[in-house]
Amino acid sequence: MKFPSPSSAEAVIAVSGLSRQFGAKRALNDVSLFVSRGSVLGLVGENGAGKTTLIKHLLGSLRAQAGSVRVFGLDPVRDPVGVLGRVGYLSERRDLPGWMRVDEFMRYTQAFYPGWDPPYAAQLLAQFQLDPAQKIKTLSQGQQAKIGLLTALAYRPELLILDEPSSGLDPVVRRDILEAIIRLVAEEGRTVLFSSHLLDEVERVADHVIMLQQGRVVLNGRTEEVRGEHISAVLAFAEPQAQAPVLAGAHAISGFGSEWRVLFGGSHGELGAAAASMGARVVEERTPTLDEILVARAGGKGS
Amino acid sequence: MNSRRLAGGTPTGAMIWEIWGRHKVDFLWQGVALAASACFVYWKMHGASKNFGELLGLASFCCFLVAYLHLLVCFSYLEFDARRVQPGFPGRLLLKPVSTARLVLVPMLFGGAVVVTVFALWTGLVLPHLSALNVASLLWISTVLLSLFWWLQALEWSLPWLKARSVILLLVVVIHLLVLVLPQLPADISSAWQWGILTALLASAVPTAWMGLTLMRQGRWEGPARLALLGSRLRPARVRGGCPPFGSAFGAQFWLEWRRQGWVLPGVWAVLALLVVPLQLVGFKWGGVDDPSPAAIWGLMLGLPLVLSVVWGHALAKFDLFQPMNELPGYIAVRPLTNGGFVVAKLAMALVASVFTWLVTAVAVGLCLALVGAGTLFSPAGLVTPLGPVAYLTGCAPMALLLVLWTWKNLVAGMGAGLTGRPWIIKLFPVWRLTVVFGLGALVIAARTYVNFQAALVGWLTVILSVCLAAKLVVALAAFAWGLRRHAITARAIGWIAGGWLIGGLFVAAYADRVCHMIQRPDLWLWLALGGFLILPLADLALAPLALAWNRHR
Amino acid sequence: MQLRISVQDGAPIYQQIVEQVKYLVAAGRLKPGDDVPPIRALAEQLRINPNTVARAYLELERAGIVSMRQGFGTTVAQVKAPLPRREKLRLLAEPAEVLLTNAHHLNVSLEDVITLLRERDAAMQPESTQ
Repeated sequence: MKFPSPSSAEAVIAVSGLSRQFGAKRALNDVSLFVSRGSVLGLVGENGAGKTTLIKHLLGSLRAQAGSVRVFGLDPVRDPVGVLGRVGYLSERRDLPGWMRVDEFMRYTQAFYPGWDPPYAAQLLAQFQLDPAQKIKTLSQGQQAKIGLLTALAYRPELLILDEPSSGLDPVVRRDILEAIIRLVAEEGRTVLFSSHLLDEVERVADHVIMLQQGRVVLNGRTEEVRGEHISAVLAFAEPQAQAPVLAGAHAISGFGSEWRVLFGGSHGELGAAAASMGARVVEERTPTLDEILVARAGGKGS
Repeated sequence: MNSRRLAGGTPTGAMIWEIWGRHKVDFLWQGVALAASACFVYWKMHGASKNFGELLGLASFCCFLVAYLHLLVCFSYLEFDARRVQPGFPGRLLLKPVSTARLVLVPMLFGGAVVVTVFALWTGLVLPHLSALNVASLLWISTVLLSLFWWLQALEWSLPWLKARSVILLLVVVIHLLVLVLPQLPADISSAWQWGILTALLASAVPTAWMGLTLMRQGRWEGPARLALLGSRLRPARVRGGCPPFGSAFGAQFWLEWRRQGWVLPGVWAVLALLVVPLQLVGFKWGGVDDPSPAAIWGLMLGLPLVLSVVWGHALAKFDLFQPMNELPGYIAVRPLTNGGFVVAKLAMALVASVFTWLVTAVAVGLCLALVGAGTLFSPAGLVTPLGPVAYLTGCAPMALLLVLWTWKNLVAGMGAGLTGRPWIIKLFPVWRLTVVFGLGALVIAARTYVNFQAALVGWLTVILSVCLAAKLVVALAAFAWGLRRHAITARAIGWIAGGWLIGGLFVAAYADRVCHMIQRPDLWLWLALGGFLILPLADLALAPLALAWNRHR
Repeated sequence: MQLRISVQDGAPIYQQIVEQVKYLVAAGRLKPGDDVPPIRALAEQLRINPNTVARAYLELERAGIVSMRQGFGTTVAQVKAPLPRREKLRLLAEPAEVLLTNAHHLNVSLEDVITLLRERDAAMQPESTQ
């Protein structure tokens, strides 16, 4: 397996300068991203940051008001069939026909995709332990997510787009879904884009991470690089501080008295210099998790 | 404005305020329609000519009917339960600390009061000027209306596990219709029992609703356990793994359209034509009322499906009966099928539905004629058609095809508007259609009354029709070209739509030719042929994929 | 081969895999000639991206610990490492710096660090020699 470099691999998804407004609200603001073949992109951000809006643009459900969106080099609005035939999608609200039975839904979906693999579909059905005769509206949330994922995986799409695949699901179902996704990634050339609030899942599975905040891209890079660009440190001040000290480059600072924990965006050297300029020294340093970075950048208190 | 102040701070007030709040705009439109109804009558009273006055009377009645039906729906206090995919009592209210009796009585009493009041006001102020109807029968009608309203509420709220809900609802409506006509039957049979039956209906509606809500509140959504067990034993074993996969995406989409909507028109018509009308005929026989003539039966049987298809066609743009029209369901929007493919699947479904509807009609006509004692479809009495028995022999099959085509046209003509998914277009489209119909009607009346106008119209008609046809072709071509460029439609779909239009138009032209020869008016042929090409939808269907694209890619 | 991946840990996941495999080899739980699980199986087992596992294996191959053969999976290489001493010391320089930085922050003297290193080395010896 090769590590795809930006120049060698073709971009499966190419979004540049995308903006979207709903009335007065700016949902997306000049968003650009490139996903190359075979990579896994994790899309993170708070609720309302614009993740679902971005995903809808990739499927052609929303038209680009400014900027361009290209999936497999095609515009999903101008050529929906060319794009959607190669994409597997699981939406946040699952969007399933409640009146259909599981086997009817599989039969219906199969007709649209020539690449449907019936033995693989049967294998997934057995593995997810779904009863084919059951109506979809009587399935539990986890089972609905599973049938949605099954009908997205069974034709082995080149691109898999998942919007919050694990939301509202118990750990057992989450494990199943993650394994199914990893199995797809392990096949040559499959690309995955998924958005999730479960950041430890994103860290495990994603090659690249993009963080959206109020419609803007605030972080974009390989998972370890993104983590490596931040430091979670403890600063010891000479005297107790009455209120939170303001440190240049810090995303969040919290604490009491003379010891303050800070989430700093920058290198070790920059941190040392900033601390020194405030009259503090660095007593503890470690790499923060994506969770801490997200919360800190979103304006919460760094832990 | 503080809602608490508005609602008076009581649960009852809050429930009433909620009905008002949800339907503010609807009430406004209903008020406008009722006012229009009154205005039409006022106009008729003061200085309109006789014919025009009748038209005004009809318009006034239509306005009232539409507004009143809408009022009934608003006050039935229904909410759509997304989990169970069916309408019912708002589930969240069941969790509030309010007694079930209050939950039942507030909508029923308040709704009933408003419904009866509006009806009484209209019949008191407006109806006397339209036709003479004595007070006693009005009282009867309004009480029957109240009973129907309460029973509809009771059924919609209770028994969420009721599988044959639509059939039972229809039965209730039929029962009320029969009760409505009780006073018309000979006095010795019914007068003693009339009010008794009606009171029984009224009295049993409220406890039924109360029982239904209590069951729901106790979480017994599945109904009595024994009944459910019995049901599962009676249901035949499911066929597992027997269905072969669909041959193509079109096949799958057609299956979905048929399953979700296609059976509605033939099904409803079958119930009406094979159940309600024969029952009514039997009732007439039993009541000693004169049988309607075969001509009346033919008229009803031929006219009603066409009317039903116009009514149903409005909803054909949906992909699911129970979803509001503006939404394209997610699992359909991401399928790799062109918008034209979705449209063609709907067209095919409409065609199959039309064919089934007219098959049902053929059976129903035979049944009704036999019941009436006029023999069967093929006996002399059954041969009464507007044009005589000779026409029957030469025109039966093409006539049937014509009717199928007409029904299909009614079903699909307005599809583009619904497919756009924009609420303002969906609401305005029926208004536009009514305007067109009234405009044409006014034109015909004007032509009949003013001879000069008639002569001029006759002279220019060919040109007008040709220009309209040319415009239609231009719009259709432009729409197809744009659709092809945007991958909204495939060349194959264009072939089907355009080819179908051409064949349909040629068929109408040929049939018109035959009819014109028969009635010896060959000069009418050109107009009829052009009219046929104009009426059959082409531009509509060419724009439909673009409308769907506008909805699918917002 | 049982590995534990912690996302909370500061180190990137592939590095955790590399470290743990190195530990297992040093502790004798992975002997030369043993089979290391294929990339896909390990990815599914740990529920991480197969690219991460591939990267870890690449690092291990570069460090001379495993040898990858197409179609035969991956196996542990022979103990006699082909790397020159200079190369090995260069590889150890960075972990040593991390250790010394932490010791400095905690105000632990160099002698205590050396004592600690001796203790940990003794604990890591295979049972047969104890």
